Amino acid sequence: MTRSFRTIGLGALAAVALAVAGCGGGGSDEKSTSSTPGGKKAPLNGAKKGGTLSVVSQADFVDIDCGKAYYQYDYMLCYATQRPLYSYAPGDPNNVQPDMAADKPEISPDGKTVTIKIRTGVKFSPPVNREVTSKDVKYAIERMFFSSVNNGYAGSYMGDIVGAKTGAKPGTKIEGIETPDDQTIVIKLKKGTGAVVAQALSLPGSAPVPEDYAAKYDAKAQSTYKNFVVSTGPYMIQQDAQGKAIGYKAGKTTTVVRNPNWDAKTDRKPAPLDGFTFKSGNDPAVAAKQIYQGTAQVSGDFAPLPPDIKAGLTQYKGQLNLNPNGAFRYVAMNTSKKPFNNVDIRRAVIAAFDRKAIQLSRGGDTIGDVASHFLPPGIPGFEEAGGQKGPSLDYLANERGDMAVAQKYMKAAGFPSGKYNGPEITMIGVNTGTGKKAAQVTQAQFEKVGFKVNLKLVTQDSMYSKFCQIPKSGYDVCPNVAWGKDFNDPQSLLDVPFNGENIIQEGNSNHALFDDPEINQAMDKAKLIVDLQERAQAWGKIDTQLMEKGAAIPWLWDKQPNINSKDVNAVLNEFTSNWDLNYTGLK
Amino acid sequence: MSVGAADLLTESEGEGNLATAPGAEIAARSPLQLFWRRLRGDKVALIALAFIVLLLLIAVLAGPIRKIFGAPPPNLQDSGTLDDFGTPTYDFPKHIMGVDDLGRDVFSRVLYGARVSLEVALAATGIAVACGTVAGMIAGYYRGWVDTLISRSIDVLLAFPILLLGLGLGSACSLKGCLGGVIKPGISVVIFIISLSSSLYFARIIRGQVLSLREKEFIEASKSLGASNLRIIFKEVLPNLVAPIIVYSTLIIPTNILFEAALSFLGVGVKAPNPSWGQMIADAVSIFNTAWWYMFFPGLALLLTVLAFNLVGDGLQDALNPKSGR
Repeated sequence: MTRSFRTIGLGALAAVALAVAGCGGGGSDEKSTSSTPGGKKAPLNGAKKGGTLSVVSQADFVDIDCGKAYYQYDYMLCYATQRPLYSYAPGDPNNVQPDMAADKPEISPDGKTVTIKIRTGVKFSPPVNREVTSKDVKYAIERMFFSSVNNGYAGSYMGDIVGAKTGAKPGTKIEGIETPDDQTIVIKLKKGTGAVVAQALSLPGSAPVPEDYAAKYDAKAQSTYKNFVVSTGPYMIQQDAQGKAIGYKAGKTTTVVRNPNWDAKTDRKPAPLDGFTFKSGNDPAVAAKQIYQGTAQVSGDFAPLPPDIKAGLTQYKGQLNLNPNGAFRYVAMNTSKKPFNNVDIRRAVIAAFDRKAIQLSRGGDTIGDVASHFLPPGIPGFEEAGGQKGPSLDYLANERGDMAVAQKYMKAAGFPSGKYNGPEITMIGVNTGTGKKAAQVTQAQFEKVGFKVNLKLVTQDSMYSKFCQIPKSGYDVCPNVAWGKDFNDPQSLLDVPFNGENIIQEGNSNHALFDDPEINQAMDKAKLIVDLQERAQAWGKIDTQLMEKGAAIPWLWDKQPNINSKDVNAVLNEFTSNWDLNYTGLK
Repeated sequence: MSVGAADLLTESEGEGNLATAPGAEIAARSPLQLFWRRLRGDKVALIALAFIVLLLLIAVLAGPIRKIFGAPPPNLQDSGTLDDFGTPTYDFPKHIMGVDDLGRDVFSRVLYGARVSLEVALAATGIAVACGTVAGMIAGYYRGWVDTLISRSIDVLLAFPILLLGLGLGSACSLKGCLGGVIKPGISVVIFIISLSSSLYFARIIRGQVLSLREKEFIEASKSLGASNLRIIFKEVLPNLVAPIIVYSTLIIPTNILFEAALSFLGVGVKAPNPSWGQMIADAVSIFNTAWWYMFFPGLALLLTVLAFNLVGDGLQDALNPKSGR
């Protein structure tokens, strides 16, 4: 007995020693980082150069591999550590600007060819250290289609690239992406969807990835590249000499330092900070108070609770930013199986649903308007889909809910009593903050029409990664999901969450598992429309059709609250609705 | 000390017939009468006992009581009681304990919360007492390898940090239940966890008592008359354990109430939206600055209940076992 215990002890000691050695490597690395001269651009209004800050959040990143990341909070890290071909600058949420690209994309008149030139002089962070070429961008796009990476949006926005297929074997080349020289990428498309492909290149997945370095990690069944990720942006996750991302401690902290190979001359971003630490696992109520009072600096993923929103508007003026973020929050019902594969049951639930109550649980009118359909204000197609009032459907007429209408639809669904009496349903909600409250309000709304609800509350990241993004997990309702624009186009709001062709087995974002041939066809047609007005019309009509089919229950058009402490010159990126860490600095 | 000694003198008649025989007019008193005489003198315990009876009534009659006060049902969310920011209000005559952050009436939730607290505490204590007594009697009476097996298993289980074990079991069982569906998610998981942990302590205490009882002369007498082991355990040993069982179970009840509150506070207790005091306190933490009533009233209810059970437990101990001293 004793001997085996001792062996285990020694083994553990050896592991600790290795870890310590790793830390040592990281430490010296950090030193060399800080001795490297940083950017030379003048910091923005009043922001001081240097210093570090902490970003506090409720949950951890879903994925720190930016070729896979498809979550707003992940983007906060990705836009600071990676350079996608295009990105948005603070102050201009509508116009995309070249980032890794040298200039605007050239789209052929038939919309089938997109040509992009990239910058010279941009280098990968250690241990790769070489200059970025167009082949790295090609690989970045190719790997998004790998089964080991399984990017959530590549299929829907770039699926028309000649030779591109989602779920491809790792290492599969895409013939439709050509690299005639080190600075040029030519993307060939099967259909005339060039405008959307070009827009989608502003997503983090287009940031270059070195094939010679990353291929071995991508070849695994699940890519492990995230543990060894290299950067092109002003910052990088702290790493050891072998390139292991030791700054990332899952579920705890992510330490980000300057990228020693980033050259300010190649970038418009001032990047005043020396680094930052993302801290996850915080209670939103505590985190908000810490930020208001200055022991933490900026908010990451969480929405402050109603009392803290109130405090931000009354007590801590100037520390709360409410930004309409072009997103809608909704309750997803699993339309792929009983009972919610029945459209009348869905309509009955929508009719009974008190959307005002769930909006109040999040903070009332200050945090956004009650939604009456999906496309949010400011997005083309919003007016065409009925504006604030929404489509004229009896089950949407009253934002407070209408039990008489609900009973009517329940009867139509085959429940003569007007109430559902089938087996219990499983609802997967978030276990803290406003998410928990919204889940409990949703539970009460479903119970109003007779459902017996087993509400399971889990952390936000496992809500997505274990349940609501995994069709096989067999959930019935996901009350805490939301969808934001990927770029300023209605397609980016409706295609991913409601096009049946986009349902994937892991990392799925069609939480309602909505697969309706009529809608799928209408979307495929609308994607090809080039004229902006016609496009808005077509997508607005799809929005209305979705509401007619009761695809989900939209309840809020978000204004995203972000908070910052007094000592921070916090700069918001209106496009991502996150604090832009490339511009944020200390006062 | 002198007071204690006098007590002993005046009250020791029932304990043995060898006490000095007084005059004939003193009637013999049964142990129950003696117990009641002693308990009657303990005013604090009596008040606490009255409170517990009241609490039991509240738990049983939560529905009618709520209606008398005109309070809405405990799970009814009335968002009209929230202000424009969605923060709860304290509209006194209408909601005597205010509303929570989903617009539910706190008074009505505290009433129904009593039901959950007592249900869990009594059920868990009952199971713990039954299992603990049987295990303790077997271990203490048979000694030998049976004792070793039971006692060492208890030691191993006691070495687990019980709250962490509870958290783990609670979240593992919360989706589909445990032990092949025997333990369903929700309240039965909580009861299972609590009864498991408190039966361990109980078994130890009972074992200790049995160890000394089994050496007593009346047990030897039974044995020599040829009584079977089972008969001795249940007819001779068990009746002598009644006093400690009553005392320890009253002392375990408040601990179990607190344990349920702790599990609910940590999010693995009673399932939402069923009201539980611990759950209410947990939800209130984040908005304590703006809605003090949401934490105050369930907290007060929990405090008074636990205090009452503790005081009754003390009172019972004094009354049943006057020689134990304080």
